[in-house]
Parts: sequence; structure tokens; C-alpha cells
Amino acid sequence: MTRFDLSDDGVVVIVGSGAGGGTLANELAQKGIRSVVLEAGKRFDLGDIENDEWAMFSKTSWLDKRYSTGGWHGAVNHPNLPAWIVKGYGGSTIHWAGVALRLREHEFRTRSHYGAIPGANNEDWPVTLAEMIPWYEKAERKMGVTGRTTGMPHLPWNNGFRVLAEGCRRTGRTDYNSGPMAINSVERDDRPACQQIGFCMQGCAIGAKWSTMYTELPRAEATGNCEVRTEAMALRIEHDRAGRVTGVVYADAEGVQHRQKARAVAVAGNSIESPRLLLNSASAMFPDGLANSSGQVGRNYLTHTTAGCYAVLPEKVHMYRGTSVAGVVGDEVNHDAGRGFAGGYYLEFLSLGLPFMAAFLEPGNTGWGRSVAGAMEQYDRMSGVWICGEDMAQEKNGITLHPEEKDQHGLPVPLVAKTPHNNDHAMTAHAFEATAEIYEAVGATDVYELPAYPASHNMGTNRMHADPAKGVVNAFGQAHDVANLFVSDGSQFTSSGACNPTLTIVALAIRQAEHIAREMAAGSI
Amino acid sequence: MTITIHRQTSESGRTGFSRRRFLLSTAMIGVTTGGMLRIAGASGAAALDAGQSATLLRMVQDIYPHPDLLELSHYEAIVEIVAAKAAGDAANAAALTDGLARIEAQARALHGTGYTGIADPDAREGLLRHFQHEGFFQGVRWTAYFAIYDNKALWPRFGYGGSSVEHGGYIDRGFSDITFVPAGPTLEQRLAEVGG
Repeated sequence: MTRFDLSDDGVVVIVGSGAGGGTLANELAQKGIRSVVLEAGKRFDLGDIENDEWAMFSKTSWLDKRYSTGGWHGAVNHPNLPAWIVKGYGGSTIHWAGVALRLREHEFRTRSHYGAIPGANNEDWPVTLAEMIPWYEKAERKMGVTGRTTGMPHLPWNNGFRVLAEGCRRTGRTDYNSGPMAINSVERDDRPACQQIGFCMQGCAIGAKWSTMYTELPRAEATGNCEVRTEAMALRIEHDRAGRVTGVVYADAEGVQHRQKARAVAVAGNSIESPRLLLNSASAMFPDGLANSSGQVGRNYLTHTTAGCYAVLPEKVHMYRGTSVAGVVGDEVNHDAGRGFAGGYYLEFLSLGLPFMAAFLEPGNTGWGRSVAGAMEQYDRMSGVWICGEDMAQEKNGITLHPEEKDQHGLPVPLVAKTPHNNDHAMTAHAFEATAEIYEAVGATDVYELPAYPASHNMGTNRMHADPAKGVVNAFGQAHDVANLFVSDGSQFTSSGACNPTLTIVALAIRQAEHIAREMAAGSI
Repeated sequence: MTITIHRQTSESGRTGFSRRRFLLSTAMIGVTTGGMLRIAGASGAAALDAGQSATLLRMVQDIYPHPDLLELSHYEAIVEIVAAKAAGDAANAAALTDGLARIEAQARALHGTGYTGIADPDAREGLLRHFQHEGFFQGVRWTAYFAIYDNKALWPRFGYGGSSVEHGGYIDRGFSDITFVPAGPTLEQRLAEVGG
């Protein structure tokens, strides 16, 4: 396995090995550009994957100290788990469900389409859907997304999704299908076809679902151009007197600190750790944090407007059998101001296992008693969705540093603030009504509404903007303030869109790799 | 907990049933993720006297009541785990016995009988709700949670199949076997829609 010297200042240091960092590393490696990936978590492989919800939660989750704050219920019910993401080789591509949707045109231009919304900080991306389409296609081919780009058929419909789909049909809906998913429906790219195992979000045990764990990362390492260092927690990014970044200080598994020199640095630690790293890299030259002249680092934290909704059907469904997110309803993703809110949402069929259903049906101290137990006795007749809608950006939602408390590395513990906008409340109410209508059309007797889970979609805290005063990075994820510093994860999103962020993260990372190669060739990095 | 019953009116065109909604109660104290982690196996040591054990046994049955699905022995096993944890931790034991004593006192004050003597399950649950934000209560509650819902031996009773990779997944084991809604598209139809 390739090793690069700590003093090698020709490497790109990539912080994080998930959808953004892992993809960037492989794209650069294939172009002959050397990189060191600093991954905070352990090295995992397929042998670590179990079909067990709590075992995998304990094994792979990011459980370093965090505080959940703001007005969402999680500040009370999930006080130290604002986000449900992975710490390990492959990042949250281990946990993601595989939904591979593109943002819509209006979602790239939320200021133009929605106008100014009181209390919100909705802005246009500096890229458009038209510019992104070729990069989306590259991402879809790379990841193996079912649909027209690859010609790979969408997955067969499982019980839970068939119930949802029939409700959609009976209520006149037309946009529902078992894809696009980055899950092989046939053998492809040295990975097998889906065996309807379930437990997609505990990690795909056979590698049918795309994850950087067994695609981008080992392929990057195999070139000899990439070294992935696991259990390497980035502490701060350093810079020279010209304001160019020069390296990253990190702690290894024993807590020993090292300084890896760098030609450029790409931050891809997910939307809590990435801004936290920039804030922790404050210096005399950058007193408010690295690349933060806009003051937008850590702000506009987006999680999607989400909730769960589970219906009890008259007959057995056994929703746990098969793909966890087995289908998507897109009828409500358009922007229609007449509904009373801006943006739209998807309904994504999502099975929970018995343990997680019992934990999330009513989270917090009150989730017990006859009503909860009674609902759990209906488990085998349930089908349900995860509501995933556009989240309104607000400056007050974001990542800040605890004034006193430090973590095991001596870094200030992050405070993660999230208060839903009224737009989010209106959208959620609409989505609950729509879901109930769909399931009632197939005979649902009870419909349970679940509040948002700890966020697996985290975005927005280092947003792109054409105007350096309004955003942290440009259209290529390059910091406005520091030419050789990049943001490569979902934190660069200007707005959340309604769809799962991974495909867009991958498409942006492929595009960013081209940009970095071009800038290096031109000698500007 | 707040449950709102939504009675469908005939005007809406959908009649004859209700749907329940869980609404969020905001007056909750959080359970840390540490508190949600797995509990080590019990050794069966006795930290509780017979009266305390009886109260605890009724309490775990009232926390997750499944009288038609589970047997008394399943709840007795939970009491054993709770007692074993208390036996190895003096502070935990003190909080638990104090909490059980206050439940008893509250039962006598409100109902003139001990907790196990209250006949109405709703009354017992209502009494327990007074204590639900306390550490001892949540300790018992999460122990019961893991012993029931994260207990592979009990999953078949709830109709949950669990791990499948060792069986080759559910692809040949009923992932799409229901008959009360139409089948999904065939492979030919799925290929046609992607131009394959």
C-alpha cells in the first residue's frame, strides 16, 4: 500500500472518505494526482456488515460528543445525536439507502423561483441543472444508478412499496417507481445484483449498493496515487503568510499529532465536521475561521424537511423484506405556491426493523405504554414512508463551537442548531395528509406520524454562492478566500432540494476533480 | 403521550375508520445515546425484596404491555436484568428502590391500594407517567425495550424476520408475496421503461 511522507507537499489532503471525499480521491487518482485521505473512523470492509440495526448503529455511527440544539424535537429527544452519520472508511455511503435522484431546475435557483422568504436565506446556486446534467450522468454511470443513463432496470417492487404504489394509483398519482437507485438490479461493475436482503442502511452486506467503501476508495488506493489513513482525525488546517493552505494537523489512533503537508486541501467531513474544522482553523489572518470572510461558515444548516409516516393495512405486509427504500413518489416535488409553501417533497418508502420502529415511533421519554405497544403489535401490517422535502435555509441554523467543553482531541464540542422554518411545518403537514390519503385508499386503518429522525442528510454549512459575500465557496467548491482550499461534501449545497444529496455530492466531486486538475495544470494551485 | 383520534367523516368520502396520530410531547427529558446502548446480560442477583420485585414486574408489563403476545416469563426475565444491574451498582439500586417506593406511595395516595392492586391498566399507566422523566424509570424502560424489541427470540411473535443475508436475502423468501394489491411490473416492463 502506498505511503506518502508527511513532508510531501505535493499531495492533495482530503478530509473524509465518504461520497465527496472518496469520489474526489478516486477521480484525482485516476488522473495521476496524488492524495492523502484522512478518515477519522476505522477501516471497515464487507465482513463488518451485519443485518442488525443496533449492532451496526453502535459499530459505525459518529458518536463523538455533539449537542443538538434549537427548536426541533431532537434537542430534547436526541440531545447528543443531532445527526445519524457514519465514522469510518466509506463514510456515510455505508449508511445511505441508495436513492439517487437529481435536483430539479427550480431547486438550483430557489431565490429566483421562490422569491425572498421572511426568515429564510434562500439563494440561487452558482450552477444550473443544465450545467450539471453531464456530471449527473457521469455519477450515475460510476455509481450504477438504475434508469436510462445505465440502462439498468429499476429494482423489483417489494411488498411495502407495492402497497404505497397502489395507493398512489388509486389517488391519481403518476410519478412513483422503484428507482432511481444506486443499487445493482443486475450484476454490474464487479458487484452483484440486489438479493432483497433489507438492512440497506446498516451497510449492504454483499456490495450491491454503491459505497465508496468497496468502490472508489480501494480503486484509488490500487492506483498507487492515494493513501487512506484511517483513525486520523483532522484537527486544523494550516496556512502560510500568503493565505494559502499548507497542510493539515491530525491526531492518529493513539492521539499522537502529525502534520501532513499539502498542495491543496479538500474538506469532506460532512456538514457538521467540515465547518467545524474551518472554524477550528481560525488564525490571526482568518480570525473568524478559515475561508469565512462571508461569515457563512457553519450557517444555513440544512437537513431536509422530514418525518416518518406509517400506515397499518388490513393484511400482512412484512415491509422489512427487501430493499429498505424500495420506491419513491415524486408527485409532490414540484414548486406550487398554491399549496402554501415553497419547494416540494418526495415520499420515499422506508422499512424500519422492529427495534428501530419501537425506538422511533415515539422517540423520547414518553414512547412507551399501551398505545406504543399496541402499535408495535401491528408491525407486520405496516407500510410507510420517509418524507424528504426541501428545507428552508436559515442563517440561525448551524454549527457553532462550545465555549468551554472540549472533546477527546481537545477540540471544542460542536453545537448543532436546528429550528424548522414555518415553510417546513406547512410542508410536513401537507405531506402527512398526502401520505394518509394514499394509504387510506388501500384500506389503512391507522396512520402513525413520526417526528424527524436524527439527520442523515446534512447540508449547507459551507454554501456555494457566486457572491463571495454570501457564500463560502464558488461553483467548483473552491473557497472564495483561499484558492487551494476546497469543500467537497454536501456542506457546499446552496439549498437542500427535496432529494437525497448523495448523487449531487458525487456529481460535484467528479466536476471538482476536473477543476482541480485544470488548476494544477495551469499552475494556479 | 398525546394521541389525536381523527374520525373520518362521510363528507370526506372515506368512512368507517379512525387513524391515530402520535403528536410530539415537548416536555421530555432526553435519553442519551449511551442510555440506548445494549445492556449486558443478567446474573440474576437479588437486589430487590419480594414486594419491590412484584411492583417492578407489574411496571414492566405496563411499560410495554403485550398480554396476548408475550408470556409472564418474558417480563420476569426483564425484572431479573433490572435487578442484576441494581445488584452491581449501589447508586442505581438506591434510585430504583426509591423510585419503586414512590410509585407505591403514589398508588396508595391516589387509589388506596398498592400499585399491583390497581385494576385499571389506564390508571396504572397514568400513575407511571408521573415518573417517566426520571432516570430510574427510563433505565427500566430501556431495559424492557431491548429485552422485547431487540430480542431475536421474540421477533417471530411480532412478525419480524430480521437478518436475511445468511439465507440469501428475501429474494426467494417472500419479498413480494402479498396478494391484496397488484403485483409490480415484470422484468420486461422494467427493462422497457429504461430503454433496455
